[in-house]
Amino acid sequence: MRGLRVAVPKGAIFEDALAALESAGMPVGVLRDDGRRLLYRADGAEFIMSRPSDVPVFVEHGAADIGIVGKDVLDEQRPNVMELRDLGTGACQMVLAAPRTKVEEVRRSIDHAEVVRVGTKFPNVARRYFEGMGRQAEVIELHGSVELAPLVGLAECIVDLTATGTTLRENDLVVMDEISSSTARLIANRGSYRLRHREVAGLIEAMNRNGDRVG
Amino acid sequence: MREKTPRKFSTTPGTRDVLPPESTRLLDAQARVLARFRLHGFREVITPALEYSEVIEEPKLRDSAFKLFDPDNQMLLLRPEVTTPVARLVAQRLRNSPPPYKLSYSLPVYRRAGVGRGQSAEFRQAGVEAVGSASPGEDAGTIALLVDVLRTLGLRPGTDFALVLGQAAFYRGYLKGAAPGVAPDVLAALADKDLVRVDEISRTLQPEVAASIREIPRLVGPAADGSVLERAAGYAGRNEEAAAALENLRLILDHLQAIGPLDGVMLDFGLIGRHDYYTGAVYEVYASGLGFTVANGGRYDNLLRRFGEPLPATGFAISLERLVSALPERRADPLVVLVGASVEATRAASELRDSHVPVLHLAEDLPPAQAADYARSVDADWVCYPAPGGVKLAPAVGGEAEILAPGAVAGRVIS
Repeated sequence: MRGLRVAVPKGAIFEDALAALESAGMPVGVLRDDGRRLLYRADGAEFIMSRPSDVPVFVEHGAADIGIVGKDVLDEQRPNVMELRDLGTGACQMVLAAPRTKVEEVRRSIDHAEVVRVGTKFPNVARRYFEGMGRQAEVIELHGSVELAPLVGLAECIVDLTATGTTLRENDLVVMDEISSSTARLIANRGSYRLRHREVAGLIEAMNRNGDRVG
Repeated sequence: MREKTPRKFSTTPGTRDVLPPESTRLLDAQARVLARFRLHGFREVITPALEYSEVIEEPKLRDSAFKLFDPDNQMLLLRPEVTTPVARLVAQRLRNSPPPYKLSYSLPVYRRAGVGRGQSAEFRQAGVEAVGSASPGEDAGTIALLVDVLRTLGLRPGTDFALVLGQAAFYRGYLKGAAPGVAPDVLAALADKDLVRVDEISRTLQPEVAASIREIPRLVGPAADGSVLERAAGYAGRNEEAAAALENLRLILDHLQAIGPLDGVMLDFGLIGRHDYYTGAVYEVYASGLGFTVANGGRYDNLLRRFGEPLPATGFAISLERLVSALPERRADPLVVLVGASVEATRAASELRDSHVPVLHLAEDLPPAQAADYARSVDADWVCYPAPGGVKLAPAVGGEAEILAPGAVAGRVIS
């Protein structure tokens, strides 16, 4: 039988994901060698390199047994997967932000239950946030550089992820509310979690033993 | 160049036409499943595809259903599952006969959600419901039937599939006793399969309780190995409800063991199924190499109350398309293409069928090469022409033709 197949996210939490897997004794060295391949094999284990937002898709369908992905992505997609461990790394906040000059205006609109236009890469999170407050929003889904939207009048505010707040500051955007906070999570396919429980549980145990020292 | 097909002539998103040989495999599997259901005394029911929207209560299922309106402007749903319609049927139609009601079905269900995520909007569920008995023997009986079905269709327990068994009342009972304040939140988090959230909630509690809340849903292991049950008992302490649930699970396992070894049965105390639905045993079947459940079921003692008949119930549903995709390849039934426009050809076809040879009669005078092409297009292994004294039979892939008496063809083509 083959070893576990792991979906590893490219981008911001790539290094954190590697550190976590390494702490559990997985042979992740190959992933550092060459950044262009999509599938790596080492000692029976397999690693899929994927966009963070695709990690839950691979795992939900069983194309990967386990994966590492930010809670923000899980909140947005709500995939049917097991969420097993908080890796504690890659911390960031989902925030509502608006241009400094417009903050008061946006706050007043929200208070009066007027419809505000929100630019975001996380339409489901944004919609749930406004619905949860009993407020109305017109959500405009974007795929990158969300900060641009309020600067050119596409939206009045944004719902986006921020780690340090630098990008927000550079674009003169101010955080109006913290919606949720996010860290990297270990997820597993429902079938793999049971059929290969010994391997998955062993991995988590090793992370628990060593992970806190590394992470 | 062929003209572009207008969009309205394609099938709607998430639905598809099913062609042979896939359709044959699907209906074959369905027939074999229903035969096993009958062997266990479950009798088929058919409910309408349309139900009043009020019949389905669970918000997630309602959201996922296709909706339409009847002439009185009542909202209708295309059934997103069959258990609730069967519960309605039992409460409305069977109240004058004695329980338990052992019913089975194989019907298509319809769901909007999942389209675009590789899931179908229309798929078939075959299942059973045993309504009106709270006996653990009924839980074990339906589980055994499910395993029997899977084995009959060629799947080996432990190798090709695993049945994961939980007891929803165990964790719920423990939480109600030990930490009633957070119980609903913990159960909601676990129904979402979010063990991280379970941990977060547990942090507000005293260490011993927190440890049990964290560890119980992580108890997973082979049913044949008694240590999982023992550890669960340890975490439950003196909680009465949890102890009763554990005793119920032990009884179910005793019944199952009386039938055969517990190969392929795994215990998982974190498996509670849909939020607030299952009240006792709950199980899912996973096939190796398939990321989704092939079947799932359990005890749902609260559902019938909605229809005015508070009856306990247990049952399962198999997702037929997923089951078929997990099945080992099976040789298709033989088929003979008999070619000829003559009356003799019609007679020969009828004679072959009398000896149980499946015959597709092509009532045209086609030359052998074209006939063989046609035969391959319908997955037939043989081409046959009427001949003096019998028929001339040849393999569709080419080869020697031979003259056989009609009665001898069966021995040749049916192995």
